Amino acid sequence: MEAVKNAFDFGDMPRSELWLAALALAFLLWFPAMPHSSFGMATMIQFLMFSLYGMGWNLIGGYGGQVDLGKAQYVGIGAYTTAVMMIRWDVPFWFSMPVGMALAVGWSFIIGYPLFRLKGHYFAIATIATSLVLKDLFEVWNFVGGARGLEIPMKGDMPNWLYLQFREDYYYYYVILGMLLVGLIYMNGFRHSRLGYQLRAIKDNEHVARSLGIDVHWSKIKAYAMATAYVAMVGSFHACYNFNIEPEDTMSLDLSVLIAMMAMLGGAGSMWGPIIGAAILVPMKNYLGSWLGGQAGFAGMDLAMYGLIIMIIAAAQPRGVYGIVEAMRARRR
Amino acid sequence: MTLLQVNNVTKRFGGLVANHEVSFQVGQDEVVGLIGPNGAGKTTLFNCIAGFHQLTSGSVIFDGEDITALSDFQVARLGLARTFQIFQASGDLKVVENVMVGSFMRTSSRGAARQVALEVMEFLGIADTAGEMMTELPVAAQKRVALATALASDPKLLLLDEVGAGLNHSEIDGLIELLQRIHGERGVALLLTEHVLEMVMKLSHRVIVLESGRKIAEGEPAAVVKDPEVVRAYLGDHYVKRQKENGDA
Repeated sequence: MEAVKNAFDFGDMPRSELWLAALALAFLLWFPAMPHSSFGMATMIQFLMFSLYGMGWNLIGGYGGQVDLGKAQYVGIGAYTTAVMMIRWDVPFWFSMPVGMALAVGWSFIIGYPLFRLKGHYFAIATIATSLVLKDLFEVWNFVGGARGLEIPMKGDMPNWLYLQFREDYYYYYVILGMLLVGLIYMNGFRHSRLGYQLRAIKDNEHVARSLGIDVHWSKIKAYAMATAYVAMVGSFHACYNFNIEPEDTMSLDLSVLIAMMAMLGGAGSMWGPIIGAAILVPMKNYLGSWLGGQAGFAGMDLAMYGLIIMIIAAAQPRGVYGIVEAMRARRR
Repeated sequence: MTLLQVNNVTKRFGGLVANHEVSFQVGQDEVVGLIGPNGAGKTTLFNCIAGFHQLTSGSVIFDGEDITALSDFQVARLGLARTFQIFQASGDLKVVENVMVGSFMRTSSRGAARQVALEVMEFLGIADTAGEMMTELPVAAQKRVALATALASDPKLLLLDEVGAGLNHSEIDGLIELLQRIHGERGVALLLTEHVLEMVMKLSHRVIVLESGRKIAEGEPAAVVKDPEVVRAYLGDHYVKRQKENGDA
């Protein structure tokens, strides 16, 4: 029962942060009732999805310091599991999602066991490689539709909660918002768990961690598996939300980099960092990116912009936007 | 009773012999000092005992169990803790959370881990720093946190690698008193390496001297410092010769 208590214990957070979080939550709950464009709604759903992707990345990349640039492979496994099960065997979302998470976690053990023998940049590069290999395999695998991907057929009657098929986007919005809340509470529990503390000790210094009886290799694998569960869960949601999935949009390197970048921009190793990062980058990607690529005629400019952001963050404040907030708070004391 | 038994330990790095056939024992209620000039192989020997290095030959027995082939984290779980020469301050964890990482070795409960951590910090006189970040503490206090973290794992034997390095005279006196209390009140056996000879001499029941990876002397602190081999190792042949001439004259 202590695990449940830990998950709901926000006592170690500054009051101001909790107030801000409550305000943000009130806004998020209320948003669909406010006047908004359908593009705005789509942007908000993407923001929530990327917040969860980023939280998954942050679990191993931020708390554990293991920079992973292959998260998209787990998005793909989640999305494809749900799509295949729905199309072939008519399995509802709420059953295929946990199956997708389990398959992704299983794959993460297979990947994690050898890859965590590597450190730093070597680990990051290896995660890119495994993700790309999996994507290539999916592109030639006919069972999952090859490069054309899969299309989930509509089930006539809507709203359909079982198969997560809705005509209005605000249904999807509340489903993913609910997932975010569950994810946040679980993350808070993780922060307070033995593994959570041990992982931060590993990030600090592996030799010291080992001298304190921590099986560093196994701890990383466990945390990686938890991170994977987050990402695969949203991958399953992605399949239902888009109706259409293909290797290029669920398993690409672009997606992996975007996930990592949002978490780093917001603040790796902090609870709110990934959400802050997604709140900045998703609207920027959708509005500024599409304006630059469309009317302004600078297609691909948004990618250059991301690069610039990463360089500024790396040079000025490696702990991201949340790091800037922390630094200001420390100065005021 | 013997707690740690080091048998003919040899450690070679390529052609370099860092430890050669070193044997000694540490008793359950002993404080043993390991001294020697720079490069004598003290830290390597520590790493061999703690399972961080695999031995080239020889064996290490701890608490009746052969730990020669075990990994460092497995050795730690048996109750052999250590501190490091170079200590890295954490950016992410508060002081008490750092110490909790030590107590988490014996419990998975956050509440219990916190209680043990606070108790150990109280014992070491650093309870007031619990809520601070490591990076905000002075070096002497950071070393105490490292000690607290090791102690929180409830060890039987504590290996201390140059705990006195970088401390001033009064800080060293405080540390000596602290280590005596750790040994006396908590019943932890200590094995320490030190450049600060004064500290080793005051603390140790027995001193082992290494030079070029070999054990050249062992005995009570007062006797060891008079051993001509030890004097030669520390001060060189010239000094020994001159001392002899003076004695003759």
